[in-house]
Amino acid sequence: MKGIVKRFPGVDANDHVDFELQAGEAHGLLGENGAGKTTLMNVLYGILRPDEGEIYIRGEKVDIGSPREALNLGIGMVHQHFKLVEPHTVLENILLGLKEPAFILNVKDAANKVLEISKRYELPIDPEARIWQLSMGERQRVEILKALYRGAKILVLDEPTSVLTPPETRELFRFIAQMAREGRSVVFITHKLDEVMAVSDRVTVLRAGRNVDTLDREQLEKTKLASMMVGREVLFTLSKSPVVPGEPVLQLNQVTVMGDKGFPAVKNLTLAIRKGEILGVAGIAGNGQRELTEAIAGMRPILSGQVRLSGKEIHRESISRRIEDGIAYVPEDRVGVAAPQGLTVAQDLILRRYRQKPFSNGVFLNQNEIDNNAETLIKEFKIMVSGKDAPARTLSGGNLQKLILARELSGKPRLIVAVYPTRGLDVGATEYIRSLLLKQREARSAVLMVSEDLDEILSLSDRIAVMYGGEIVGTFPASEANVEEIGLMMGGSLRKT
Amino acid sequence: MPVVSLVLGFLSAAPLFLAVGVNPILAYRQVLGVFVNVDGLTESFTRAIPLLLASIGLCLPFKMNFWNIGAEGQLFMGAFAATAIVFMLPDSSAFVLLGSMMIAGFIFGGIWGLIPAYLKARLETNEVLTTLMLNFVAILWVDYLVYGPWRDPEGFGFPLTPMFPLNARLPWIPGTRIHAGLIVGLVCAVLVYIFLARTRWGYELKVTGESRLAAKYAGIDYLKLTLLVMFIGGGLAGLAGMGLVSGIVLRLRHGISPGYGFSAIIIAWLARLNPLAAVPVSILFGGLLVAGDALQIGLGLAFATTSVFQALILLFVVGAEVLTRYKVALTWE
Repeated sequence: MKGIVKRFPGVDANDHVDFELQAGEAHGLLGENGAGKTTLMNVLYGILRPDEGEIYIRGEKVDIGSPREALNLGIGMVHQHFKLVEPHTVLENILLGLKEPAFILNVKDAANKVLEISKRYELPIDPEARIWQLSMGERQRVEILKALYRGAKILVLDEPTSVLTPPETRELFRFIAQMAREGRSVVFITHKLDEVMAVSDRVTVLRAGRNVDTLDREQLEKTKLASMMVGREVLFTLSKSPVVPGEPVLQLNQVTVMGDKGFPAVKNLTLAIRKGEILGVAGIAGNGQRELTEAIAGMRPILSGQVRLSGKEIHRESISRRIEDGIAYVPEDRVGVAAPQGLTVAQDLILRRYRQKPFSNGVFLNQNEIDNNAETLIKEFKIMVSGKDAPARTLSGGNLQKLILARELSGKPRLIVAVYPTRGLDVGATEYIRSLLLKQREARSAVLMVSEDLDEILSLSDRIAVMYGGEIVGTFPASEANVEEIGLMMGGSLRKT
Repeated sequence: MPVVSLVLGFLSAAPLFLAVGVNPILAYRQVLGVFVNVDGLTESFTRAIPLLLASIGLCLPFKMNFWNIGAEGQLFMGAFAATAIVFMLPDSSAFVLLGSMMIAGFIFGGIWGLIPAYLKARLETNEVLTTLMLNFVAILWVDYLVYGPWRDPEGFGFPLTPMFPLNARLPWIPGTRIHAGLIVGLVCAVLVYIFLARTRWGYELKVTGESRLAAKYAGIDYLKLTLLVMFIGGGLAGLAGMGLVSGIVLRLRHGISPGYGFSAIIIAWLARLNPLAAVPVSILFGGLLVAGDALQIGLGLAFATTSVFQALILLFVVGAEVLTRYKVALTWE
């Protein structure tokens, strides 16, 4: 790909980007959110048309107008958000859109072919299973099989590990290596440095829509990649000053919480967090972490047990009372819950505080105070936005999360409940959000942080609790943490309580 | 854009007029005449009063995605309550009587709004169904009264109550049918505008309209907010009903509203849920209703024909409203 330019209103997503992919290599495409990685690959896959630039496949100049043409050239792509029909079976999804059988579909042959591919690449799948029954990792496997079934020689994976557990990630890396050995090529889009180091033969770094450089395997070095990506030095070890924890802030006693499916998602759970302490809750998504945090924030009633905040029972209190009590809550769903997209930045910045003085006198809102608050927080938290009256939907993921934290932390909270605080954020934003959480710890707030990212848990937490099947299967000080053990606990094969 | 859509609406009605044997040019002249002569204009304002009150009442619940289709029923309950007050206090002064009629009309319209609000917030019943059904309950309740216990014994058997005493009549502009309800409507439009733009409840409505989960996260009490908004919204429709019996008809009768509560839904949308914008839209809509009458009287067209004509105009206006949100570009590949 030579001199690719793609402009969107207001931004040049790709500004004369060159990209070269060789046969038989795993090529990492690294960059922060909004660096233009996905745009570049969407151009290759025929979803977007470049404004300028040329594409050559095996030396021949091509014009790729649609994904079908891309597939005919042997290019397959697995998007970050899967494009599967959930009520349909795996096989139906794989065959969907194929032109090949004109009238009569030989389901058995097709199924055999799928099974053959799945066996060859060790990607086990049940062709008759329905998509909605599958985990995210299995769905990704279906997407990969779909591309392979169509004969993809070049496979583009967009942020493939964001939905995977650590063992699934290892499996994926093995698969990528196998593809490369067979002389096929894989493009691996990511903003995670460790992953790119683990699988890539070569790495191309993009920043703000431009090429920074392409490096060979021998040249890869984590700090170098990070500064290329961000454009400045990045600190990997956050300075964590010693804080002596004080009295307990949050106490959960034998708490049971119902999940959406009508079964208890949290079972008889007991835990405590003290002042100036970060408790990291590790676990694979879907083991009750979400329900636990929702119960603390008041979004979900508890079935039995007690929740105490600084000694006071709060589990019957309304959400607004809990906000006044000093519970800050950074939920998993940023766009649908934490920062409604149709409101302006200023409006989102008072979302959980609009009832309080000085924003409201009980009846009328004070627009001046709302505007001042927005301007102060935008500056203090370095939120990149065109103005306080811009709709929240114009913010990037990292800036949206900064907005949410700015609001939640500005109320001087006693307890901060943060769920996947840095999920999907780039290195710069991640570093900043983590430093904010550490600052809260120094300000002697209690922090409950749920994360799937073990590095994050290990580098921020004072204590670690591992959740599995709605229970805490182990708690220990972060200094005594053992990654292997945590991994086993997350998978449910070890208990230490 | 609105002009274009009006012209298109007019043109599309030409075959209709031709089919019933009327020169379309004559018909257009009749319709446009409504907006240039005094009688036509004042009558448009008269018709706009209930439309305005009901539509600003709808702006509130629509902001939070509560789809109130029940303004018609809320209007009928308001008309019923105002009439009941006249029968209870026939001899009190005009000030006391009119004041009580307004309060009762507002409260009964409001209560008719509270029922579906409670059902939705507590039991997640579909408000489209409950508000729609409650229309029929209200309309048939009024029918029961005017065909039964409240029927005027000297009314030759028509389904209507006896005429109200003069102290139950809203002040009006002599020579027209425009009554004080217009002032009430304009004041309410300003109040509702302030409610939406400046108060904490306006903010809560906006957040809830964005996402109910986000509203919950913000600590907004959905039950309280829905009840508040539907009481005010239903109350405004109730005021519209009070205005009809006390400003125009001077009695309660069968079919007191020809569907103002339903037309108000369209008006609220065309005004993009802005109560101030609902004022001109209501007046134009009122004019369209008057134009229908003018066609019937002036050219002897059937009621059904004029209804089709009105519907065509609306179809084009509503359709064009959708298009204004997009840029239309013609390109050649």
